[in-house]
Amino acid sequence: MSREKRFGFLVDLRRCIGCQSCSIACKQEWNVPVGRYRAWVKQVAKGMFPHTRKSFLPILCNNCEKPICVMVCPVLASYQKPNGIVEVDPHKCIGCRYCMASCPYGVRYLHPDLGIAQKCNWCSHLTENGAQPACVAACPASARIFGDLKDPDSEINRLIAQNGVQSIKPEMGTGPRAFYIGLDDITVEVKAQGHELMHLSE
Amino acid sequence: MQSTQILYDIHNGETFGTLIAIYFYLTGLSAGSFIISTLSYGFGFERFKPLGKIGIVIATLLLAAAPMFLLAHSGQKLRVWHLFVYLNPTSPITWGSFLLMLYPLNCVVYGFFMFRGQKRLTRTFGLIGIPLALMVHGYTGFILAFGKARPLWNSSVMPLLFLVSAMVSGIAMMIIVSAIRDRFFTKEHALNMDILSALARMLGWCLVFDLFLTSTEMAVHGISHLGAQESVALLLTGPFAGLFLLLENLMGKVIPMLVMLSPRARRAVPLLLLASILVMIGIYTMRYNVVVGGEYIPLL
Repeated sequence: MSREKRFGFLVDLRRCIGCQSCSIACKQEWNVPVGRYRAWVKQVAKGMFPHTRKSFLPILCNNCEKPICVMVCPVLASYQKPNGIVEVDPHKCIGCRYCMASCPYGVRYLHPDLGIAQKCNWCSHLTENGAQPACVAACPASARIFGDLKDPDSEINRLIAQNGVQSIKPEMGTGPRAFYIGLDDITVEVKAQGHELMHLSE
Repeated sequence: MQSTQILYDIHNGETFGTLIAIYFYLTGLSAGSFIISTLSYGFGFERFKPLGKIGIVIATLLLAAAPMFLLAHSGQKLRVWHLFVYLNPTSPITWGSFLLMLYPLNCVVYGFFMFRGQKRLTRTFGLIGIPLALMVHGYTGFILAFGKARPLWNSSVMPLLFLVSAMVSGIAMMIIVSAIRDRFFTKEHALNMDILSALARMLGWCLVFDLFLTSTEMAVHGISHLGAQESVALLLTGPFAGLFLLLENLMGKVIPMLVMLSPRARRAVPLLLLASILVMIGIYTMRYNVVVGGEYIPLL
């Protein structure tokens, strides 16, 4: 009996060491252009010496339950698969950037040469064939767990059930499907000055 | 004491930017001048008859220019036909792609009958054009309001604010156009003070409404959730304070409002024209502040 899967992602922040292996694996897997990222690790310094800590927040597409990017795409290029993954049809996208403007997580970018929006799709070419996403396979600390939320025996379901899990900006009502163990509000909320980041991306 | 400092983060680049701000500005001007044009030919206010023809010509030209900025902004320019084939009813841009076809088409038909002197048909197409003009600019407010990631945009006041500021910038432009037309393109070379004064009074009250909506937005966002508070701080005390407080609101709205609502001041033509130019600059600044300021603060 074929049963439709519903994918989910979990990041165990107790394990993350901020090595950026996930960012690099993603860049290699997808040939992500210079200055653009599908997945990265935000790094924040907390506290005052000697009580300090570097805090890490891996960011990737949430492949939301109710994706706002799909809702606003004027040409139906962004769509949601039955397994929950949100994809961009590279042949339909006109590069209007409305999805980028409305995404609360800022995980989409416009490919500078192709002129279309691109995003993390949890490596659907791998995961739909039973393999792990490139970032999960690359994580040396096993901090990233990918699996089927409908399978009661999956590792991700076990970890979600047995730990306190959070998601980023749940108040946006998009139903993010990337969960975190030990998510730190301060790390989420601290922001660089806009102009610093604009400068970084140029 | 806690200190938190960001060490590394990614910003995937600007999304809408100046091109879209210009696009919003042009559709606003077009909608405003179309409505002035229909005052006489649609609603029968004979006083505004001299602005009927020039109003529709300008409205059509501006609306022909506006989509060029959308085209320039699009990443895949040869695929714009997708907008008419793959329809998404929940996307304001899909509504807009049809409005941007229907509205200029209606402008041309309306103008055609006006220049032919067919009063009844002119009136019919003028009245059809009113909701189209309101929608072609109102939908741009929905584009921003549906961008729910950005607190400054995600407001139900946004479509109304965009309509009111369209009227403001359109009337200010028509004051300048009317003065230039009277001075250089009529036999008498005399300004029609009756029209100028009526437009100025209308502009004054539109500015009152615009200021009311803008301050409503600031007040409500100012006490709302964290992101909304940050967006207000950006405009009131942050890097956009000069643009927002001085250029947009003081010079672009408050001072012109005082000029337009004072019967003495609005009769002084140089002052009236200067105030109208300030309004046009102010509304452009408003579009810029909303579009670029709205996405200035990083999301994560």
